[in-house]
Amino acid sequence: MHPFSYTRATDTRQALHAGRDGGRYIAGGTTLVDLMRETVERPRTLVDISALPLREIMVTRRGGLRIGALVRMSEAAAHRGVRALYPVISQALELSASAQLRNMATIGGNIMQRTRCTYFRDVTAACNKREPGSGCAALHGVNRTHAILGTSDDCVATHPSDVAVAFAALEASVHLMGADGERTVPFADFLLKPGSTPNREQALRPGELITAVELPALPRPLRSGYLKVRDRQSYEFALTSAAVALHIRHGVIREAKVAAGGVGTVPWKLTAVERQLIGRRPSDALWTKAAEHAADGARPLQHNRFKVELLKRTVERQLRIVGGGK
Amino acid sequence: MSPQPQAAVGAPLSRVDGRLKVTGQAKYTADHDIDGVVHAVIVDSSVARGRITGIDTRAADAQPGVLGLISHLDKPALAYRDNPGAWLDPRSGERLHVFQDDKVRFLGQPVAVVVARTLEAAQHAADLVKVSYDAEKPSTDMSASGVPENDPLPPQNYVRGNPEDALASAVVKLEGTYRLTRNHHNALEPHATIARWDGEKLTVWDKTQWTVGARDELAAVFGMSAENVRVISPFVGGAFGNGLRTWPHTTIAALAARQIRRPVKLVLTREQLYYGVGYRPAYEYGLRLGSTRGGRVTAALHRIRAETSSYEHYVEGVMNPGQMLYATPHVRQAYRTVPLDVNTPTFMRGPGWSSAAFAIESAMDELAHETGIDPIELRLRNEPQEDPVNGLPWSTRRLTECLRTGARAFGWHRRNPKPRSRRDGDWLIGMGMASGIYDTLRMQSEARVRLDADGTALVQASTSDMGPGTYTSVTQLAADALGLTMRTVRFELGDSTFPPSPPHGGSQTMAGVGSAVQDGCDKLRQEAIKLAVEDERSPLHGVDADDIVVRGGRLHVKSNPARGETYRQLLARNSRTHLETRGTFTPSGDDRYSMNAYSVTFAEVAVDRRLGLVRMRRMLGVYDVGRIISPKLADSQALGAMVGGVGQALLEHTATDHRDGRIVNANLADYLVPVNADIPDIKAIYLDGEDLHADPIGVKGLGEIVKVGVAPAIANAVFNATGRRVRDLPITAEALL
Repeated sequence: MHPFSYTRATDTRQALHAGRDGGRYIAGGTTLVDLMRETVERPRTLVDISALPLREIMVTRRGGLRIGALVRMSEAAAHRGVRALYPVISQALELSASAQLRNMATIGGNIMQRTRCTYFRDVTAACNKREPGSGCAALHGVNRTHAILGTSDDCVATHPSDVAVAFAALEASVHLMGADGERTVPFADFLLKPGSTPNREQALRPGELITAVELPALPRPLRSGYLKVRDRQSYEFALTSAAVALHIRHGVIREAKVAAGGVGTVPWKLTAVERQLIGRRPSDALWTKAAEHAADGARPLQHNRFKVELLKRTVERQLRIVGGGK
Repeated sequence: MSPQPQAAVGAPLSRVDGRLKVTGQAKYTADHDIDGVVHAVIVDSSVARGRITGIDTRAADAQPGVLGLISHLDKPALAYRDNPGAWLDPRSGERLHVFQDDKVRFLGQPVAVVVARTLEAAQHAADLVKVSYDAEKPSTDMSASGVPENDPLPPQNYVRGNPEDALASAVVKLEGTYRLTRNHHNALEPHATIARWDGEKLTVWDKTQWTVGARDELAAVFGMSAENVRVISPFVGGAFGNGLRTWPHTTIAALAARQIRRPVKLVLTREQLYYGVGYRPAYEYGLRLGSTRGGRVTAALHRIRAETSSYEHYVEGVMNPGQMLYATPHVRQAYRTVPLDVNTPTFMRGPGWSSAAFAIESAMDELAHETGIDPIELRLRNEPQEDPVNGLPWSTRRLTECLRTGARAFGWHRRNPKPRSRRDGDWLIGMGMASGIYDTLRMQSEARVRLDADGTALVQASTSDMGPGTYTSVTQLAADALGLTMRTVRFELGDSTFPPSPPHGGSQTMAGVGSAVQDGCDKLRQEAIKLAVEDERSPLHGVDADDIVVRGGRLHVKSNPARGETYRQLLARNSRTHLETRGTFTPSGDDRYSMNAYSVTFAEVAVDRRLGLVRMRRMLGVYDVGRIISPKLADSQALGAMVGGVGQALLEHTATDHRDGRIVNANLADYLVPVNADIPDIKAIYLDGEDLHADPIGVKGLGEIVKVGVAPAIANAVFNATGRRVRDLPITAEALL
């Protein structure tokens, strides 16, 4: 670990001030501290934002949800409003990490977490995300867990979050605050695909702070759920995952929100699958047909070809679990 | 000598050191608080093959708190004498010498060590050391083309009968190549060493399974007398075989302490545990079987390849099961090690035997399927009457009982031999089984037993307790043999100044150390009895010594418990502060019996028919291991090994990037071991009995055999569930989609 200084912000203004001067925000610390120990992250200054008043979960007037950036994963998962309105979010959170980590990690930190790509986390390996221009060791390396969607020749690392997949599916938005004021960014624009600049991961301006994630009100009744496919049953990142929310009225799917995890450089919104579903009646045949489009555009690597088929089957299974069928 | 009443032995007692462990009072190596200790951190090579061309230490030296840095540039004087005591080390090749030259033999090889006042300063300074290399392309993949031709050593061969002819004329023929990936031990406690020099004397606190082995190796490396080295290791937080050898970091800690003239603590990082110590080698195991239509295996041809390092040829007992598990008349085996630019492999639970069992027991399951014979019946038909290798009778071999008992207890009759015939929603359900064998090792052992005037006893041996519960089971033996309660007997271990013990590995600790303790306690009890019957003032005066037993610290006439006295009374009256004896165990020669432990493991799995995920539903192990001294701890061993087997079968895989020899999952987030959610209902059954040919206490060893056969039982269950015969471990979703 490299030496660093540490300050604790008591209010938002103070935090933004320290952030503008190059300080790195830290809340639960479950990603950043690990990476500092590995010397992947070498911040000069840490600004602890844990004391900021961003720990509220509010049901919005229209029936959406606003989750404060410092709400712990475990708090969000257990929240009655979250459980009632968006089971997909509770499930994604509860299938993440371990109980200990969920008690520390925050929602804002969760969507900021960095990839599990082993080459990124090993400072002696080539990684464009960690060291722009050094190359991508994963592209032709051991890449079983890497992305098949949204990749570039410069980076094939997956975004590791589960709840971000639910956020992507539900078309959440991210509330940000900077020295110049507040703004809101659609979730789809918040996390960036690597392209030729994999070191740029979020659409954050220097010193900007996440204050909340907002889920839009969706037509009710809404059934939703999250499926995580992984080698072991707990405490592991997804090989593939699917977040599905369906609004079915009079036997017809009126709204479909679907996204996949473990396969994309960012949580992967499956618009082609959604299009197949809307206006149709739930059936096993429909789930299979729609899921056929789950891996559209996939670019598999040497060790992760199986993810193409596994992704389709994961989405098919979760459509059936949420939408009904045998 | 009247047999002692059995009270503690066979009782399901909890660990005597359990409270210390759960309250954090048990001191593992890095926990020892040594006055004036400073901290060492190893800088390891980032290339797998080549030469070190420069070491820039300027930034590191400038860090506050840094006390020194050692590399090959300092030419540290180390004797590296031959160590005839290191019989566990590979017979061929030479151990890694630290900091003696500029050659890099594997990625992760120690190239320097930084010592600083604090751990943080040492870690940071180690990060700042810049090492430059003249790197060459490494060879780390035993499956790559061209690799076998590099092997300078001829293979080990075994042959009986005419295997080629027998195979050619066999009615049923099978052929398969089984690939077992490299596994790492991943014990919770990292390997660690604290070294302190007091003049010419070296004291080392070390994570080790063999204190006297570590003592002898340090003496050989530093060119000193073994009497001047003391190794202390009272608690070991899991080792699974990786603490049997003395690894380079132990030398480095002692070297740094000598150079800096301060006690030095060195703890390997989790990542360094993938390079700095050993691992279970990867195997390619080609097996051809020939059989009659009735399932009698007539021919078995084994072609075995395993990885090793470029500097040592590590071999293990992978050939044995293929020679003696079944009565096969015609057998050929060739076992070759493939030298690569990697560190040397080592023993890992069920070493060799469990790797062979995966191939053999998978093939037997395939043969059962091909011939339409039930897998259990098939094994019964191939049961040998004597050891086929040497014609010796078995001391005890109750494998058929294990098969029958297990089949009943597991509900084997409910298994449908037709694959894919049982379903539960999206899950395909399958059952599988596999047999196992592991030889009963026994070695010379000694123990000191002392009974104090207060009526408590102290027993000492230099052995270890890496988790199986040596503290507890030896105390149970001693308590009964001395006629004392568990609370009044203390067993101390883990110190090379205690009476010598063999390596705490190979399932031999109870057989050797237990028998030596039994002997010492018997002698001491008899000495006390003799003292009493010859003492005119004793109520036992004149009684036949053979009629006296001891219970609860009181000696009495067996048929008349009222007549007697306590150890305390006896010793006080005779003005004795204590009685002391030395127990020994010397194994009888191996020439009369073939001695082995046996297992049958049963597994029921569910496989998601679309997603390819394998989930365990039930497991059962049935064991012929002789006498069970400590049933609760035996269960810990058996259940733990089945959990380890789930890891080997479904999860564990050391993944190397062969472009540069880097292990890409050298951490516990990416190297998957089972978590609680992966583990189903597990049970263990031990056949009641003992093997007195093996040793006086009748044990055959437990810790290794419980691992042998677990992975093939699971793979066979996967076949029964899906119809897919997976020959590569671990079995992951992509093999079953």
